[in-house]
Amino acid sequence: MTTVKQFVNEKGEPIYGIMAEFATPAAIYHAAEKLRDQGFTHWDVYAPFPIHGIDEAMGIRRTRLPLIVGSAACVGVVAGYLLQWYGSNIGYKLVTQGKPYGEFGGAGGWESFVPIMFELGVLFAAFATLIGMLALNGLPRHHHPLLSKERFLRVSDDRFVICVEAADPKFDHKATRTLLESLGGTHIDLVEDQ
Amino acid sequence: MSQVTAENRSPWAEKFASMRPENITLPAGSGSGVGNGLIGVGAVCTGLAFASPLIMPGVSLGHPLASFHVGAMSVLACCMGAIFFLLIFSLVNAGWTATIRRQFENIASLIWIPIVMVGVVLAVEVINKGVMFRWMGENPAENYLLGKKSPYLNIPRFVVFAVVYAAVWLALSRLLVGYSQRLDETGDKAYAAKIRTLAPVGMICFAFTLAFASFDWLMSQDIIFFSTMWPVYFLAGCAFTSLTTVVMIFAALRLRGKLQGVVTEEHFHDLGKLLFGFTCFWAYIAFFQYFLIWYANIPEETAWFLARSRDGWEHFFPILAFGHFVIPFLILIFRPIKRNPRFLLAFCGLLILMQLLDVFWVVRPVVYAGQPADKVPGITASWIDVVAIAGAVAIFAGFLIKKVASGPLVPLNDPRMGESLKHKNYV
Repeated sequence: MTTVKQFVNEKGEPIYGIMAEFATPAAIYHAAEKLRDQGFTHWDVYAPFPIHGIDEAMGIRRTRLPLIVGSAACVGVVAGYLLQWYGSNIGYKLVTQGKPYGEFGGAGGWESFVPIMFELGVLFAAFATLIGMLALNGLPRHHHPLLSKERFLRVSDDRFVICVEAADPKFDHKATRTLLESLGGTHIDLVEDQ
Repeated sequence: MSQVTAENRSPWAEKFASMRPENITLPAGSGSGVGNGLIGVGAVCTGLAFASPLIMPGVSLGHPLASFHVGAMSVLACCMGAIFFLLIFSLVNAGWTATIRRQFENIASLIWIPIVMVGVVLAVEVINKGVMFRWMGENPAENYLLGKKSPYLNIPRFVVFAVVYAAVWLALSRLLVGYSQRLDETGDKAYAAKIRTLAPVGMICFAFTLAFASFDWLMSQDIIFFSTMWPVYFLAGCAFTSLTTVVMIFAALRLRGKLQGVVTEEHFHDLGKLLFGFTCFWAYIAFFQYFLIWYANIPEETAWFLARSRDGWEHFFPILAFGHFVIPFLILIFRPIKRNPRFLLAFCGLLILMQLLDVFWVVRPVVYAGQPADKVPGITASWIDVVAIAGAVAIFAGFLIKKVASGPLVPLNDPRMGESLKHKNYV
């Protein structure tokens, strides 16, 4: 039986995590590498612009999105085939343009099935990309605990922020604060979970 | 001993250790044995193929001629694809291509080989008044369609245009390769700018000559047939052939321990993406050319496909559909495969074979078309096809290997070298 550790601030409110500010992309890049090497798993880097190589520095694994998209595309192709196979073989058998019935059961041959199979494959893949990306990112969401921090808003301007979440197994009030300080973080602050 | 001379010392070597001369040059004399051997084998194969009508009863001159044409057009496609990519890279100023440019240039500089080969085939055609190109020997007054097409389909125009194509391609390859070599020698960045100025003009000339050459040298073998998709179909083959060749060159060089840290997994990844893209592009063009003709069902167009979907030629449909598209698609879609030079080397060999089969299926049915089945030498004469195609390909491969080994494997002075050496796929 594992007990879920609940962290609270001085007022007894539950906290989301602990944030630290960095002044440059290079500083936050190296801090991210250290946090990764310490084995933290629930934390994130916030920056005004994409930092090249930050996902490697954070130890983020490659996304599973391609698998989802590939599977959806296959489903789309099969669905496209079945749709036409049913329509032209069972639903309403019709000879068009004087073409013979094809080997794969289409009116006029398998050739006319291909564009629809292709298009449905693309359509399913496109939807899976968008929806899968949103789902894997946990979007859309109305609010994020960090947004109630005044200083965090500068992350859309000229500051770089690391937030280690309380949900991380290695999270500890004091130790994490000291660690972030040693990495060069400033304005270290608790983030209330609200 | 590596050819470490003042000429192949790159200024980039001061900044990047991977640009040290022994990493970017092959030892002196390497490849000449294999190269000369391949040229010799190719010459023997070609000679054997063209001697076959004399020694085998029932075999017409068209048989080795068509097969050699398959090889020659495939080699031409390889060189044209290389020119195409050099022009595209310069047009879009693609920095990551700096380290892979040189091998495209090496292929492009050998454009004279396919020009000579195709020139020989066309000379035989003109002298014989049409072996594969039957319109050369027919009277336009007796054939209604040929009468209508004779303002274009006539021998003087055919010969003049062929000379123009050859002149344009030789000029393009000499300029592209020449500027790059002078950039190597002098380090004068003005030559890089000259290539970029040449690119848009060159691309327009390239597009027109390639389109009309594909009409003249492939499509006009059938007097009646026409397809507006034809040049694109040929271009898809060109890009595909040159990419597979370049990937094989770099993979072979990497396995020999050269270009470490110069042509990296990142470059193979991007070449693999291009290869994947052109596999799909070829399939898209090949299928939809067939599809629209099938749908419209106009006799002038369908006859061409009809001749290629019987008498054994129908087996090419599934072979090409799976070998040239479905299997490469399913294999090249995976990221680790695109980054594995050893696997790509073997796989690209297979892809080149598929491309040869594609051209073979287009060209070779012309011979013996309309003849009674018992007059056609069947499988017993197929060795002629093998040696004729292998002859053309081996001669080119021999010259290419010697060309690759003859100089630095990458440009020495390209201003975008730093960008290319640090190139990385962030996705």
